[in-house]
Amino acid sequence: MGQAEKQRSVLRINLDILNAIREEGDAKPTHILYKANLSHERLVKYLEDLTTKGLIELRQDGENRTYRMTTKGIEFLIEMRRAESFVQGFGLAI
Amino acid sequence: MAAVGALVVFSLNVLSAVVALLTSYYAYRFNRLASSPLLNAITFGFMLLGVGLLVEAGTSVALGQTLIELLVSKVLATITTFTYLSIQMVAYLIFAAGYAVLAFGKSARAVAAAATVAVTPRVVELAGLYSYALVSYFVVLVLLAFVVFQGALIHSRTRTRFSSLVLLAFVLILAAHVVLLASVVSLSGVLFLVGTATQFLGFVSLLVFLLRSGRVGAG
Repeated sequence: MGQAEKQRSVLRINLDILNAIREEGDAKPTHILYKANLSHERLVKYLEDLTTKGLIELRQDGENRTYRMTTKGIEFLIEMRRAESFVQGFGLAI
Repeated sequence: MAAVGALVVFSLNVLSAVVALLTSYYAYRFNRLASSPLLNAITFGFMLLGVGLLVEAGTSVALGQTLIELLVSKVLATITTFTYLSIQMVAYLIFAAGYAVLAFGKSARAVAAAATVAVTPRVVELAGLYSYALVSYFVVLVLLAFVVFQGALIHSRTRTRFSSLVLLAFVLILAAHVVLLASVVSLSGVLFLVGTATQFLGFVSLLVFLLRSGRVGAG
């Protein structure tokens, strides 16, 4: 686990993962891992958590596994981005 | 003339109050996601400020006089004006405490609370509401200067378009309170209107911030 990862909040990590998935549409775990800068173990844990919450869904096509945002996930991401902009105004970070 | 001035104060303060209450609402909403002492301070501070501005607006329109005209005609001893000045002072104290916690850690909250306890009785002991108005505007000025200083430090580190709008809002509100203090000292109704208008411009900057930050997300 890198130093940057240690300092990131759970919310920030979730936001990075959701941004990575939103960027790709159907995102492969390797893409999310790279974009969110996480170890494989932690990525699996976060993806499971986000899937359970209904924010993303897993699509399996043979060996090919991809993740896609759900409507609830898109709404959550929009709210998170708004929150991020708002708190930035007061010098805070998510 | 007095009625026109009161109407101007009423309109500007109602609009400013709406922006203050909107800011409080968004701070509350986003605090559930990104829990922070400063967001708590912004929620309570702007809520109090919004209520205070509505009280002042209500007083102006009900009596047909601005705060300065009330001072001149010695009718200042109204509970509403006292309430407005007190609420405003507490609101800015909360902002200052929020920024202090962000800058110096949680111990600053205890210092702020102790300062409130120490200062309030002395302020209340002062004879007459004119003195109270004078002292409360001065205290607000000092608190706002601290908030602007902390805001400038934060902006120099982050330099986002959002932090520049919030900083501009607090700078305008600080400038407004310099003018408002001068209006209380000189008992000038014109200066009071200029101060109220400047304060309104500060809230306009805050409204632009709310609109711009609210537009982010769908991209």
